[in-house]
Amino acid sequence: MSRRGGRRLFWAACLLLCLAGFLLSLLVGPVRTTPADLVAFVKSPDRVHAAIFLDLRLARAVLAFLVGAALALAGAILQGYFRNPMADPFVVGVSSGAALGAVAAAALGFEAAAFGFSGPGLLAFLSGLGIVSLVYALSLRRGGFKVETLLLTGIAAGALASALTSFLLFMRSDSYDQAVFWLLGSFQLAEWGQAATIAPWVALCLAASVWLARDMDLLALGDETAQALGSPVRRVRKAFLAMSALLAALAVAVSGIIGFVGLVVPHWVRLLIGPAHRPLFAASALAGGTFLLYCDLAARTILPAELPIGVITAAVGAPFFLYLLHKKR
Amino acid sequence: MKLGRARRERAVRQGRRKGDMYRRRVSPFLAVFLSAVPMLFSPSPAAHDPARVAGQAVTDALGRAFPRPARPPERIVSMAPNITEILFALGLGGRVAGVTRFCDYPPEARRLPRIGGLVDPNVEVVRSLDPDLVIAFRGNPLRLVERVRRLGLPVFVLDIGRGLDELAALVTKIGQVTAAEARAEALAAALAARLAAVDAALRGVASRPKVFVLLYGQGLWTCGGESYVNDLVARAGGANVAAALPKKWALYKRERIIRDDPDVIFILARSAADFAAGRDRLARMPGISAVTAVRTGRIYEIDEDAASRFGPRLVDVLDRMAALLHPDRFGGRP
Repeated sequence: MSRRGGRRLFWAACLLLCLAGFLLSLLVGPVRTTPADLVAFVKSPDRVHAAIFLDLRLARAVLAFLVGAALALAGAILQGYFRNPMADPFVVGVSSGAALGAVAAAALGFEAAAFGFSGPGLLAFLSGLGIVSLVYALSLRRGGFKVETLLLTGIAAGALASALTSFLLFMRSDSYDQAVFWLLGSFQLAEWGQAATIAPWVALCLAASVWLARDMDLLALGDETAQALGSPVRRVRKAFLAMSALLAALAVAVSGIIGFVGLVVPHWVRLLIGPAHRPLFAASALAGGTFLLYCDLAARTILPAELPIGVITAAVGAPFFLYLLHKKR
Repeated sequence: MKLGRARRERAVRQGRRKGDMYRRRVSPFLAVFLSAVPMLFSPSPAAHDPARVAGQAVTDALGRAFPRPARPPERIVSMAPNITEILFALGLGGRVAGVTRFCDYPPEARRLPRIGGLVDPNVEVVRSLDPDLVIAFRGNPLRLVERVRRLGLPVFVLDIGRGLDELAALVTKIGQVTAAEARAEALAAALAARLAAVDAALRGVASRPKVFVLLYGQGLWTCGGESYVNDLVARAGGANVAAALPKKWALYKRERIIRDDPDVIFILARSAADFAAGRDRLARMPGISAVTAVRTGRIYEIDEDAASRFGPRLVDVLDRMAALLHPDRFGGRP
């Protein structure tokens, strides 16, 4: 099969899976509903079904899709940025920083909501962005900027934030229930307000990264070569780093830390459609959103009580990833 | 994974027993703000006037004004076992549409639809029951309670009290939001009369036995001075040895029990087997076997389910404790 045909097939399959995922998300939940109920609801809406189908299930599915898209796009950007397939939103410290903010807010009892975020969500967002800025500022010093320094500073800052998080958890064991929510992720509290808050940013970052994708392709050749070929390397790097940090911080702020999506989804997509960044960014967003949609579906149906979604993403993602990796070789 | 599950279950159990611990999550400034709100906006003398006109708002534990219902709610969801018990005690059992999986008293409550647990109520199930009143308590995670409220359901949030005096107020509040004021007043008066009867029986007791309360389970959990169980012990004519601890529930040290030398030990247990296991474990602990309560065999079982729910059965627990501590004042009953 030609590469072009393969890409078409990939896009068609992704879209189909995505639509099926949304439909399943609408139909499956702790309250039993049949397709007939959904059809009846569409014909003549009633309050209870409006709340269940629209306010709870659809809002949750949309938010899961947006967060999945944001995480996978952030991962795809960072893997290109560092020219390193191990990169994901964790390495620059966003996730650990955001988790620290959320757990600190939970431990201090800061639950008030603002700007469509809960108290912990808002603090997660701010501390996630704060840590990346700090990491960036630290790695800028000592005469110029090196990607390796950024990577190592990010890992160190992330470890420090994780240590502080563990300390807070140890001191305030009664906030454990809340902490699980932030450390392993959940869409249990999904609301339209959250989806509306992050949707414009996800769309904007997606559009900007697709627009700058050629420059990312050039970065793969090395910074000097890219510069020589006319790419404004420093500005491009800044823009991509800012976008990935924003995407990851937004994702953590509404749903807690969800691992593995940002690391693995871009790899799947690269294995299936190749390394060119323009299609890679767009396809990663779609595939990441779809993947998280199904993971959330599993998280809320496997057991009577809801599982944290971070458990599912790793448990489902890793084997599938290994399969793809070995099949390709 | 296994560890996580175990800790979660522990959290659920603690939520049930020590749900009041969750209060600490409210930040101090928020608490001050919330407690100031009713002072600012309601004429406070009228707030305690039982003869208020119907339709006036009732304030919930979050300081929010809750409009009194024009007609009695027909489908009530209770998010805590003590609320379920009070609703049934008010004769509103037929109107309860959903309860938690811990709501097992009265037995009829077990047949009602379950909305999940205390820390993990399911929002979708609550919504599907189409309630016209949801009564939550501060042990439920506030974020889930708020999620339910933002779906447009009327949510009234209650807290548990520090002493048995506050039981009547809780019953009255539930009566107000369920339009069952008359029955609530009657129940509150009956509870107050029973408290007064215990007070009268114990008037002028010569001694107040030292009491150690043990919560059956891992470690020596006991109730501190801020727990209503401390109030129960005091009203029953005992002196809680851990009363000086400024906490609701606390882990106690074995050395302190030996030093305190309690005359009586109450074990809060959920079954006779648990009680026996707890008693035997205590007796086997080095040093504890010399404690007065163990030597004289004054170790008694207290029904944990009744004692851990801030509801009407607390008065039964009080009667039992008082009779155990001062059998001479209660006709020599055990």
